[in-house]
Amino acid sequence: MDKYTYLSFFKKYKGRYILGVIWLIIVDGLQLIIPKLLGNITDKIKYDLLDTTGLIKYAGLIIILALGTAIFRFLWRYFIFGTGRLIEKNIREDFYNKLQSLSTRYFNDHKTGDLMAHATNDINAVRMAMGPGIVMIADAVFLTTATIGILIFTIDIRLTLLALIPLPFLSLMAVKFGKIIHSKYKKVQKSFSNMSDKAQENFAGIRVVKAFAQEKEEIDKFAESNRENYEKNVDMFKYSSLFHPLVQFISALSFLIVIGYGGILVIRGTISLGDFVAFNSYLGMLTWPMMALGLVINHLQRGQASLDRLNVIFNEKEDIFDQNIDENIKEIKGKIEIKDLDFKYSDSEEYALKNINLNINPGETAAFIGRTGSGKTTLVNLLLRLYNVEEEKIFIDGNDINDIPLAVVRENIGYVPQDNFLFSNTINKNIAFANPTNMSQDEIIKASKDAQVYENIIEFPDKFKSLLGERGSNVSGGQKQRISIARALIKNPKILILDDSLSAVDTQTEERILESLEEIMKGKTSILISHRISTIKNADKIFVFDEGKLIEKGNHEDLLKNEKLYYDLYQKQQLEEKIANS
Amino acid sequence: MREDFREEKKIENAYDSELMKRLLGYSKQYWKILLLCIFLLLIVTGVQLARPYIIKIAIDDHINALDTPMVAFDIGESPIEDQGTIFRNKVYIRENRLGGDYESQPRYQIINHDVEHYLIKGTIDKGVTYEVEEKENTATITTENDAVFTGPKLNSQELVDFREQDISALIKLSFLFLGLILTGLVINYIQTYLLRKTSQRIIYNLRQDVFSHLQKMSLAYFDKNPVGRLVTRVTNDTERIKDMYINVLVTVFKDFFLLIGIIAIMFSLNLKLSIITLAMMPLVFLAAFIFRKYVREAYREVRTKLAKINSNLSENISGMKIIQIFNQEKRKLSEFVNINNEYYKAAMKQIKIFAVFRPTMGFLYSLTLAIIIWNGGNQVLEGIIQFGVLYAFIDYIKKFFQPINDLSEKYNILQSAMAASERIFEILDTEVEIKNPDNPVQLPEKIEGKVEFKDVSFAYEEDEWVLKNINLKINPGETVALVGATGAGKSSVIKLISRFYDIQKGKILIDDINIKNINKKELREKIGVVLQDVFLFTGDMKSNIRLNADWIPDKKIIEAAKYVNAHKFISKLPKKYEHKVKERGATLSAGQRQLLAFARALAFDPDILVLDEATSNIDTETEVLIQDALEKLTRDRTTIVIAHRLSTIQDADKIVVMHKGEIREVGDHQELLDKNGIYYDLYQLQYKDQLFKREEKKSS
Repeated sequence: MDKYTYLSFFKKYKGRYILGVIWLIIVDGLQLIIPKLLGNITDKIKYDLLDTTGLIKYAGLIIILALGTAIFRFLWRYFIFGTGRLIEKNIREDFYNKLQSLSTRYFNDHKTGDLMAHATNDINAVRMAMGPGIVMIADAVFLTTATIGILIFTIDIRLTLLALIPLPFLSLMAVKFGKIIHSKYKKVQKSFSNMSDKAQENFAGIRVVKAFAQEKEEIDKFAESNRENYEKNVDMFKYSSLFHPLVQFISALSFLIVIGYGGILVIRGTISLGDFVAFNSYLGMLTWPMMALGLVINHLQRGQASLDRLNVIFNEKEDIFDQNIDENIKEIKGKIEIKDLDFKYSDSEEYALKNINLNINPGETAAFIGRTGSGKTTLVNLLLRLYNVEEEKIFIDGNDINDIPLAVVRENIGYVPQDNFLFSNTINKNIAFANPTNMSQDEIIKASKDAQVYENIIEFPDKFKSLLGERGSNVSGGQKQRISIARALIKNPKILILDDSLSAVDTQTEERILESLEEIMKGKTSILISHRISTIKNADKIFVFDEGKLIEKGNHEDLLKNEKLYYDLYQKQQLEEKIANS
Repeated sequence: MREDFREEKKIENAYDSELMKRLLGYSKQYWKILLLCIFLLLIVTGVQLARPYIIKIAIDDHINALDTPMVAFDIGESPIEDQGTIFRNKVYIRENRLGGDYESQPRYQIINHDVEHYLIKGTIDKGVTYEVEEKENTATITTENDAVFTGPKLNSQELVDFREQDISALIKLSFLFLGLILTGLVINYIQTYLLRKTSQRIIYNLRQDVFSHLQKMSLAYFDKNPVGRLVTRVTNDTERIKDMYINVLVTVFKDFFLLIGIIAIMFSLNLKLSIITLAMMPLVFLAAFIFRKYVREAYREVRTKLAKINSNLSENISGMKIIQIFNQEKRKLSEFVNINNEYYKAAMKQIKIFAVFRPTMGFLYSLTLAIIIWNGGNQVLEGIIQFGVLYAFIDYIKKFFQPINDLSEKYNILQSAMAASERIFEILDTEVEIKNPDNPVQLPEKIEGKVEFKDVSFAYEEDEWVLKNINLKINPGETVALVGATGAGKSSVIKLISRFYDIQKGKILIDDINIKNINKKELREKIGVVLQDVFLFTGDMKSNIRLNADWIPDKKIIEAAKYVNAHKFISKLPKKYEHKVKERGATLSAGQRQLLAFARALAFDPDILVLDEATSNIDTETEVLIQDALEKLTRDRTTIVIAHRLSTIQDADKIVVMHKGEIREVGDHQELLDKNGIYYDLYQLQYKDQLFKREEKKSS
């Protein structure tokens, strides 16, 4: 990905920008004629050089100018603002595309909220710079120089120089005030999001609030952040309220000079009354570009800062992609071999996996058991290539996982994650997530039956067409788990991985699911991760993990004979049973 | 179908007088300030309107005033002292400075011909052509009507003398103008600041009201309304109303003053031009009216599409792992590209609409300008009006168009404020479902802790009974374990004791007092609740144990933490009790969170403890700690626990087996096993493996 710069945008949209700026300059030019016309009319009226037909001609000319202005104004708005929007659209698309290429590691380090802020604020800041910003630059440069030129050469240099004295302050003020107000505004936004967080937390934790009768205290706590927001706003108002009055004042100062000094010049006959009238008109036209000159500096700076932030993302190295792969590998049978595997997360000092060696053959059901943080999920993440692993460590069907096309690996693994993320879409679309266009309703129904969620789904008002709320908020935890099991099963995967995916399912249902899995996964590979021994005890191979090490392997009976951690876990349950039966 | 639940509800009415009345109610206590703002606005508007008028005076009375007819007086005879110009032993004073008393006096006028000026006796009307014959510095002027005037030619010094009064007047006028704009600056600033500050204050109050009202809502209300929606009501919707206060409510007076002021000035200047200007207005309003509809729709579309992009993006980022694992990057990208394109199209449509709207308004302005110049110019030529009047008109119509241009923007603000206020008032109008009794029974400092359910039936939704005819008596100090399959009604039982929901039938008694007769706050203070998923607040460990109860000393917090075995893991944290909770406690294990919740419950030293045991993901070490803590917590305290651990069930004084909303069995572990009923089945199911093992051992 090339780096985004203002120049790169210009180059890419050269035609649109050049045309847009030409239209803009034409509009400015046409507008510059009007004051001159007014001046001419004034003088001609004064010296009786005008009759009714002359007046009609002038009026007609003004209408023609206005028509031209309107047409070209439409054009520049469309071209320049439109290009800003186009840039916005393209950046956003690139942004999303880039995100998709980044690995889980990246998303662990970057919060969704921060990425969203890039997508909204930063992209918007760039659009403001490349749309309205361009208009401001063009106006500031062209209108200012043209107007000043006209004033100096056709009216009077002394009056021009004198009358223009206040105007640079307009630019200066726009820069300074723009900065102050923006920094105050940022504080306002911060206090606002702080207040939102407070409210959000209160509502999310309302059960605790009510249980501990903390409503009054919570109201006080909210009032604090509400007040903070009020104060930050008022602090901003102190400055922002001055902006427009000051703009009006500064531009009025110029008029003051023209009324006084310009009036005297007319009396002395140095300039004509028409010049005086035209001068006043031109002055009115200068306020905006002088302000724009200041504003655009802020726009460009903010846009640049946003571009820099976006470029950091665009330049983020993709770490998981196909490299020296064997294109001939089109499918997977399900044999998994792990040899002397060590693994460490990039942000951690400690190894999450140490010297792992294991074999799982097609048709086998393997189970991973161990405490939280013992490395079970890490190992699964590596099998899915969510993180990179060294060469010659993990083999699938005898091929190094790094040699197999990423798509082949992931297509052949059915994965049910711990957190059961579902999309806010219909149940149908969620179950058929892997291939929504080609899955038949029968396949979806079968998968849901295998996952023991069919009965629940047909009880929903819209059945399979029911919409899930964001993150599946409108179904229960157990239902979510089973929908995501169906989502994995429908792929008809060669390797199925259930990462503690039955925790919210009651034991009876769990048993039924396991039974149907046994049938479906015949001849294929299953990996079950669980805390419950009942879930895994029938597995062909059980691997016991502790602190990143594989400390035991074997079937249930073997492991019991081992008398190590697995045995301890089992013992504990037995002990409970003994107590229960005493 | 998918769009429906995420898109904003369409509210067509931009203005609803009922809503407006209520909204304005919030500004009542600030009416003095708001009235002051309106008054200040009146001054600001006056200042803004003064400029064209001052320029008009400058042009007509001074700059362009050389040919004003004058009356001549002998030196010393002049009725106005220090005025006029002395020329050849006479004082010449412009007739517009004198009152009407000098009608009969002869008039003098300075006539400008080519570069020369002559002071003639009599006046020549504007538009009348004449010829000049000059002899020995005296001119004889013959008009087209054959009137003859004579007078001396003025040399340049004499001309300067005649203009002296104009220059000094212009300087005075400049100072007047300076004074005016300074006043404008100060008053405009004060007004803007006051208005914004007051609006913010009003929104502060409104926000506080909404939030406070929500605190009174029952859990049933929170079950029905997603958190995000409520947050939007409290924060964003109120912000929309602020926009209305700041940009519409008071500023509308400014627009009104401005329009009225301009119309008044215009009519005072010239009737015909005023009528022409006003005649253009229906056209302008028509254009504004037509565009308003398009602008509004385009605006709404852009907003909805942007919301769609953002929710899609945020969901995809959160679910990126799933997208990648399921190989769906391409599909998700094209989905995103589509939504992004929709937004782009909406934005382009908006650009197009504005690209037509703004120039059209600009064109209408120019059209008005052209007509004014044509008609006004003719009037100047005919001498009906002075040039300054025409100039003032040109300036005023520009100002006249501004408020009309802003109209559609204001309309948008008004509309979204109306929609927001409708949603907000809907909350404020929701009645408190669980009411405090009118005459609450005062509970003693320490209650016995007897809990009794008498024929209790309860449903979340009408007629879907979750609890049916429950009768249960728990004696002070007893521990009761509730067991049963999911959906048996266990958690409903514990929610009802704290009166999170009101029951439809029967009574719940605590120490023989119906809980409906106890103040909610007091009731809940006596009952400690530990929920299955422990909610942690932003803040540190300490504040999560103490919540907002600042009266609980640190010492007591640590004591509580030690007692429930939470102290050990807390002291291992980098900042111990000051350790900040990140992301709702995601960095803590489920077991640790449960221990923290125990400490929280204990810190409040409740007389009755209600708890829902955590089940999943608890490692063995913590498990032991939890068991130990539970045993200590329940000692000598009435406890109702939804039990998942055998040990907890084992230690209970009484086991209550629930099934489909009813109590099916009550007894201790052994009794219930012997009964061979539901409890036996539940037990079998959960511990089947172990049972098999035992059987095997027995048989071998």
